[in-house]
Amino acid sequence: MENLSQYIDHTLLSATATSDAIKQLCEEAKTYQFHAVCVNSCYASLANEQLKNSQVKVCCVVGFPLGAMSTEAKVAETKQAILDGAEEIDMVINLGYLKSKNFDDVWTDIEEVKKCIPNGTLKVILETCYLDDIEIIKASELAIQSGADYIKTSTGFGTSGATIHVVKIMKSVAQDYAKVKASGGIKDYETAKEYINLGVERIGTSSGIAIVTGISSSNKTY
Amino acid sequence: MNSISKRIDYTLLKPTSTEREIIDLCHEAILNDFHSICINSSYVSLAKQLLERSDIKICTVVGFPLGATSTEAKVFEAKKAVEDGADEIEMVINLGFLKSKNYVSVLKDISDVKIAINKIPLKVILEISELSKNEIIKAAEICIDGRADYIKTSSGFSKGGATLTATKIIKKTVKDRTKIQASGAIEDIETALKYLDSGVHRISMTSIPKTTKSLRKYSKKA
Repeated sequence: MENLSQYIDHTLLSATATSDAIKQLCEEAKTYQFHAVCVNSCYASLANEQLKNSQVKVCCVVGFPLGAMSTEAKVAETKQAILDGAEEIDMVINLGYLKSKNFDDVWTDIEEVKKCIPNGTLKVILETCYLDDIEIIKASELAIQSGADYIKTSTGFGTSGATIHVVKIMKSVAQDYAKVKASGGIKDYETAKEYINLGVERIGTSSGIAIVTGISSSNKTY
Repeated sequence: MNSISKRIDYTLLKPTSTEREIIDLCHEAILNDFHSICINSSYVSLAKQLLERSDIKICTVVGFPLGATSTEAKVFEAKKAVEDGADEIEMVINLGFLKSKNYVSVLKDISDVKIAINKIPLKVILEISELSKNEIIKAAEICIDGRADYIKTSSGFSKGGATLTATKIIKKTVKDRTKIQASGAIEDIETALKYLDSGVHRISMTSIPKTTKSLRKYSKKA
């Protein structure tokens, strides 16, 4: 149980999340010793302040959730987030460039962001719900080659989240070159455990407490 | 017909849009003599090349669609977009700050972007589907204080789009101090006309077939 909590990025990315909600998220992350909180970049400094003197990291999303902003804008957002205290960055891959087979620009987009966070953790969100298997393989390769520390399945704002099938593909490409983060729709202990058994090293979820306490919807019926 | 087509922002913001689709969008905008196209910031320089010899304006989005990126990131994204050739900037209001009643930060977010882009028109998206009547009024007042040129109803990525009720509330609040753009799920000219009659200046539309068909029908009638 204890080490399961270290897999969790305790996540609140809703556009309407208030500062009080972010403070509560941080308190919960401290209580349950989650790996990080994952927040929008406007809340990086607030989260950093709340998590002073704790082990919980601040993870910030960039170019979120569409991934369609200019590379320069992603870089600027990343730099500001780091300045505000973020230690991990979850950026969204440029899906339009990927679909256009403009792989050079997909690569540059990721590489430029990685340059801002050379010693920190960069996760690249592939938004797999919009990709076919071949595109998932290509996107995984591009992300890893351009410096991603993690490849991540989903934003939680697409048409669906992580699936076992997708995670298996990503894991087979990543091998030991990069780690895999599963996110989107992971709400209980059983599902989290299933992904971890596949070799997933981080789980993005807003149901972290339910996962680590084992009080999942499936258990509630007993 | 001319006067209506010049009220239309022809919009393509889905994250998987390819270069081919952006090229088509630009050509269709020229053919139909729309006021502008609205695209994500990673495609501004491509659109600029395509529209250089036309009077179709390029509008791009900032902090889109959540509005939850840091102010610094929005400012940079806006500046870069203008540099790339954007003629108009649409930013999403910080909904989290608004819901936290942190109005000072909501205002600063808007006015910092406006200061950065100076004479370029700034539209602020309120995302009315997330707001109560009082929040719409408050948000509209802050937009005026922040020197927004337009108030826009919706991103198109939330629960709902424009409503006549909401545009009337906004109109009553702002009077002639800012213009209004209605967006989200406006698919035909009949609906567009209802909004224009209620004092809306600009309409976002995403679907060409219905638009052109209705436009032709309308021009025959007229």
